[in-house]
Amino acid sequence: MASEVLAGSTTIPVKRPIGPTRRLWATAWKRPEFKVGLIIFVILIGLALIFPLVTELSPVKISVKDKFLPPFFMEGGSLAHPLGTDQLGRDLFIRSLIGLQNALLISFSTVILMFIIGTTIGLVSGYKGGWVDTILMRLTDAQLSIPLIILAIVILTITRPTPLAVILVLALASWPAYARVTRSVALTERRREYVRGAKILGASDLRIMLMLVAPNILPPIAFVAILDVARMMIFEAILGFIGIGVQPPTPTFGTIISDGRKYLINAWWIATMPGAFLFLSLLSLNLMGASLERARNMLLRGTI
Amino acid sequence: MGFILTFLARRLAQGLLIILVVSFAIFALVRMAPGDPARTILGGMASDELVEATAKEMGLRDPILVQYGRYLTGLLQGDLGNSYIKTESGGAAMANQDQGVSSRASVTTLIANTLPYTLQLAGLALLLTLVISIPIGIAGGVHAGRWQDKFAVYLSSIFVSLPNFWFAIVLALVVTARLGWIPSIGYQNFAYTILPAIVIAVEMSPIFIRSLSVSVADTLRQTFVEVAAVRGLGPRKILYGHVLRNAAVPILNLFGVQVGALLGGVLIVEYIFDYPGIGLLTVQAVTQRDFPVIQGVAILSSAIFVVVNILVDLAAARIDPRLES
Repeated sequence: MASEVLAGSTTIPVKRPIGPTRRLWATAWKRPEFKVGLIIFVILIGLALIFPLVTELSPVKISVKDKFLPPFFMEGGSLAHPLGTDQLGRDLFIRSLIGLQNALLISFSTVILMFIIGTTIGLVSGYKGGWVDTILMRLTDAQLSIPLIILAIVILTITRPTPLAVILVLALASWPAYARVTRSVALTERRREYVRGAKILGASDLRIMLMLVAPNILPPIAFVAILDVARMMIFEAILGFIGIGVQPPTPTFGTIISDGRKYLINAWWIATMPGAFLFLSLLSLNLMGASLERARNMLLRGTI
Repeated sequence: MGFILTFLARRLAQGLLIILVVSFAIFALVRMAPGDPARTILGGMASDELVEATAKEMGLRDPILVQYGRYLTGLLQGDLGNSYIKTESGGAAMANQDQGVSSRASVTTLIANTLPYTLQLAGLALLLTLVISIPIGIAGGVHAGRWQDKFAVYLSSIFVSLPNFWFAIVLALVVTARLGWIPSIGYQNFAYTILPAIVIAVEMSPIFIRSLSVSVADTLRQTFVEVAAVRGLGPRKILYGHVLRNAAVPILNLFGVQVGALLGGVLIVEYIFDYPGIGLLTVQAVTQRDFPVIQGVAILSSAIFVVVNILVDLAAARIDPRLES
């Protein structure tokens, strides 16, 4: 660390040991559940990105003569519509894939945004201390005390639920966890020698804070971010399900399942098949997240 | 004792501040909503003069801080305002009926009528969560690296990947509609609480399983556990007397943080099972844009969060006296 601070003035040739971030990923990679998760995830992403480009099937085109076709493993189903069709004859497989595209786009953007908001607030709070810290932390407490879903409901019933609004609302509703983690790291780091050294050398507060972010804060919350992508996908689907998410005709898991619920008794696959697809995507992310979390715990204990 | 009192006083003051901030934020947000509440109440057929008169009567034309002050005064007396839509009898008022503002149901009554159902559901869900996560989490922590540990990891990854609303639909379809084992959808007796509670328990248990197995595994590595073995205590005694006592505090704290998630889960699950609690009330309020109800529920949930967390801290201090300092 010290060598990086001084890098501008002198160059000290040091043989760098393998960094904590590399060790973290290497340990996670050794776990079978990480590989299982990654394989499922790559297959699903590949399907979601490529299949819509090469297929004739359309996620929005209505075809009345094909309505209520069951999935391929049931009588009357065929591989032309592997997951069956809905009440308007739209293919559920392609609708799920487009739904997955939208869900990933929204949840990744949300996590990036809340990561930025949360770490910024946590850094400023922990590094500055004093009344800034008190105010920011009371705000965090207040925010944590309203369930995310209720806050999202209040805001989205008031504004028009565009994809951007959904991203903003979900990010605004879940930054406090990041702020807390970052703050606790910043609190311990700011007393360290290298920070004082950097101050004496005339580094600005901004530069010191940025220096803190990369090495000390990223590894502990890398797994939180992956698990949060999955969590945000669920929330995005919930919002769509109760009608305040991204609006039709754009296919999202929430709206597909909410539509299909009306036909549950006679055409159970409309609501359940896309949900199973969503479940598989979430499982792949959560398996990777769980092994990263395990690796992080080993890193903290010093066993890797 | 003196410690407990100062602690309580400080936490209550903080809690009140939190509720104040939340109530103002929600109040301000709701006032930004498009549309005139007086128009929502009276319906599209009412004349502009009537709407204006009603709005004046309700105080909607006063400055927002005055309105908020009035709301706070009511809040202190337990009055959360009146619903835009629902009547005292419980049904939804016809929008174009010329009913005065006074016949609208008070939000406090609406919440008081639905709260017992929600508490029953949340209580059973919590019980099931503990029944699932305590044995699995402890076994995973005690046998770290063995099959119990792997089972805990895979099971919690699967549980956390089940979207609650989808899982609820599947359970209702399979267990109630197809197999007819457990009734659900609506509420007639206690049995109608079981499926919704299972869905919430499945949603909540992964984080408890993970946290429990991590803290049990960590405690087992501590020196006092080795010392206990040297002192001649059996493994069973060490587990119950030392390890679990130490693992209890993180679990309690986790529960405090998870109250919000529990309330959020209740909301969605009640909606799907048509379970007559606060969650169903809220989702109906959302579709009808009944803002006083949404506002009341948001403030209530933040109050519940504050109270539960104070209780959690008190309980944690009892279990681990070191926390008092």
